[in-house]
Amino acid sequence: MSSQESTEEAMASGNTMIEMIKVSRTYHPNITALSEISLSIETGEMFFLIGPSGAGKTTLLKLISNMEVPTKGLIEIAGHNINKLKGNKLAYLRQKIGVAYQDFKLLNDRTVAENIAISMEVSYKNPKTIKKQVRDLLDQLQLTDKHNSLTGELSRGEQQRVALARSVANSPRLILVDEPTGNLDASTTKRVMELLNRSKQAGATIVIATHDASIYKQGKHRVMELRNGVIHSLTRGNT
Amino acid sequence: MNFWFAVLRQAGRNLKQTWTSQFMTFLTVSLSVLIFAFFYLIYTNMLGAGDRLNDELRLIVYLEEEPGPAMQMQLRRKIENFDDVEEIIFISKEAAYKRFAKQLGEDSDVLDDMPKNFLPASIEVVPLKGLRGYNQIKLFSEYLASLPGTEKVQYGQEWVERFYYFTRLLTIVVLLSGTLLILTATFMVAYTIRLTIMGRQDELELLKLVGATNSYIRTPFLIEGILQGFMGSIIGLSALYGLFRWIISHFTGPGILHIFQFDFFPPIVIFIIILCSISLCSIGSYTSIRKFLKI
Ligand SMILES: Nc1ncnc2c1ncn2[C@@H]1O[C@H](COP(=O)(O)OP(=O)(O)OP(=O)(O)O)[C@@H](O)[C@H]1O
Ligand SMILES: [Mg+2]
Repeated sequence: MSSQESTEEAMASGNTMIEMIKVSRTYHPNITALSEISLSIETGEMFFLIGPSGAGKTTLLKLISNMEVPTKGLIEIAGHNINKLKGNKLAYLRQKIGVAYQDFKLLNDRTVAENIAISMEVSYKNPKTIKKQVRDLLDQLQLTDKHNSLTGELSRGEQQRVALARSVANSPRLILVDEPTGNLDASTTKRVMELLNRSKQAGATIVIATHDASIYKQGKHRVMELRNGVIHSLTRGNT
Repeated sequence: MNFWFAVLRQAGRNLKQTWTSQFMTFLTVSLSVLIFAFFYLIYTNMLGAGDRLNDELRLIVYLEEEPGPAMQMQLRRKIENFDDVEEIIFISKEAAYKRFAKQLGEDSDVLDDMPKNFLPASIEVVPLKGLRGYNQIKLFSEYLASLPGTEKVQYGQEWVERFYYFTRLLTIVVLLSGTLLILTATFMVAYTIRLTIMGRQDELELLKLVGATNSYIRTPFLIEGILQGFMGSIIGLSALYGLFRWIISHFTGPGILHIFQFDFFPPIVIFIIILCSISLCSIGSYTSIRKFLKI
């Protein structure tokens, strides 16, 4: 348990949540998805990642969540070299990172409620708390009537919101969202952003990969544009 | 507490998803336990009967002549030279006659016309309790037959021989059914758990991504194995007990089961069988987890 607590502590107190130094990722045979990316994201920051399709946004998020390993370079999350973490230490860190994947990674033969509950179940949240949290999230994302629907039967826009709900359900310290509004209309997009802003207010660090200019144009968050695996520009929104 | 709640919930989900193969495994384990325990029960009862028969085992050496005191001393020394014995009893012609008459009871008058020395003199040798192997008894009897003045040696050779071979055969059957139990328990359990793991790759992958610990992912499968071993052995042994009661109630009476005094396993043996079954099934699930649940 002590390593669990130390993980939590580091994520709450540190100033830098994500530190990347000269990170490269190449895929076989010789596709360079990312090359020499250096980047530092503060705790509590909302950070946008943009760029054309194939620029390397998803790859960057996968590297941060340790789903992929860098070919070169160093990645630290809350002071931990994430590629050196193993076993339970890695598990505890991942419990504190919520990820909404571009391909959702939902269990299609389970209900919406079960899918959202998974991220809380693995950290042994009390069943009552889980139930309440699931209902709250479904209300906020206008999915109340889908509570018991099989996830495989939902529309893509609905699945996208379920994936998002799962990523924020366990009150993570770091939230990575890949293309959260790709299939949504303007008013649903607004609700999704409200939900993410609420997590930010609770102190979470949020990294969003998106093509949707409407969600990063207002506000003064940092926006990083990738092109062909390199940083093309790093600006504050609205400038 | 929450850990066990979560783990049991996962185990329940596994059972729900692959219950047909789980049920087949459970039946196979029960059946193997039943077969093994059945033979083992017969075996232990045979051994018990053998012990009881052994207690009464004595070698009777029939003599050509009634030995005088000096001769008795000499024979006694020669017998004890070969091996320590429990007891050596000399039975004179007259004593043999009296004993026979007593055995005949009311019909003893048929002996009235016979000479009192028509039965041969003999020595009854009660071997040590330790000297119980069939070969040892046989060697001993051969030695006794070679003593001067002996006519023949009797100890129910045929019966002892048959009993001995039957016990040998049973040992082999017990070993075979034990092997069968080991194979079915480990392989069937390993196989069903492999099926479950294969059918849930997506979920297991996701569990790792959302930060499930190794024990959260693995323990449910281990519990499944333990459950299979526990339930299988309980049901197998219960079935055997039912069979045992049935045999007792239908075949008791002045038959051979009476001599055999058919007993069920003592609690400690039952406990050990259950424990072995659980361990075997756990080993089965553990090997599958090691092989197919790379973490
Ligand atoms: N598993 C993989 N194997 C080989 N190449 C890959 C793999 N994953 C990504 N790539 C390549 O790496 C590059 C970056 O991909 P990535 O998915 O990061 O782009 P993206 O910016 O997320 O694009 P999009 O906006 O379409 O989601 C692409 O050229 C892609 O083809
Ligand atoms: Mg992408």
